[in-house]
Amino acid sequence: MKAEYINPFYKATIDVFRIMLNLDVQRGQLRVVEELGPVSEANVVIGVTGDLRGSLLYSFPKSMALEMVAIMAGMPMTKLDAFVCSALGEVANIISGNAMTHLSGTDLACQISPPQVFVGTEGTLSMATEQAIVVPLITNIGTLELSVSLTSANGR
Amino acid sequence: MWKEHYRIGSELIDSQHQELFGRVASFIRAVQGEESWEERLDEVQSTLEFMKDYVVIHFRDEEALQKEIGYPWLEKHAAIHNAFREEIREFAQRVEREGFDEEKVQEFAAKVMTWLIMHVGKEDQRIGEYIREQGGQQ
Repeated sequence: MKAEYINPFYKATIDVFRIMLNLDVQRGQLRVVEELGPVSEANVVIGVTGDLRGSLLYSFPKSMALEMVAIMAGMPMTKLDAFVCSALGEVANIISGNAMTHLSGTDLACQISPPQVFVGTEGTLSMATEQAIVVPLITNIGTLELSVSLTSANGR
Repeated sequence: MWKEHYRIGSELIDSQHQELFGRVASFIRAVQGEESWEERLDEVQSTLEFMKDYVVIHFRDEEALQKEIGYPWLEKHAAIHNAFREEIREFAQRVEREGFDEEKVQEFAAKVMTWLIMHVGKEDQRIGEYIREQGGQQ
């Protein structure tokens, strides 16, 4: 897992949060974890295949998730229902898609799987056997913790 | 949902975008309302019906504008429109076949909302930039 894979996700999050939420994003201290697991209540998992393989986990605190969707919808949200979860999945999907475009600029061609959303902080994702880098993405409505676990398909 | 900075400088397209954002907002209100699903279903069905037709008209008008001003990324933009129009059509067919399930409609409403914000907020703004570079709409 190379730290340089992180930058495209940071750039994509800055761009998507500015356009969709009118929010600035600061990057917190990176940390390495042995297992990919949820940090907060609202979670989106996206698989990556191609030149890089692995998983992405977007973990949003509940209050941040509700506020993000409230900003987009222009009305308050009170629970992590199918509407809120689907919207979070789409935001994560858009960020990941844009990050893949940035990565293709470094000659890495990757595809992403449709987002899977789950609520709760229990457990780890069994599909991940590699280490993950967790990037705290700090905004004034809360901190999104993005865990990136990617390895090069050809051993680079 | 509509923001003034979404304007691209074409009166027709800007008013259509405003209409779309307004319809999506009322779609979300109906989908997320407190009343029983049966009570909200009429509004959900009529908004979906309206949007299915309105995106066809809007995409056609927006693509005509792009052609008129010689917008260089017209084909890529049309492909994005086609994919979205197809998604709406597929969803309309699906609910016709399987009925209006509340969760499925909520998921769809969220997809439409995020798509519209990202598309108008990013892709369509490039048309606005192009119009400004060309010195306003011809």
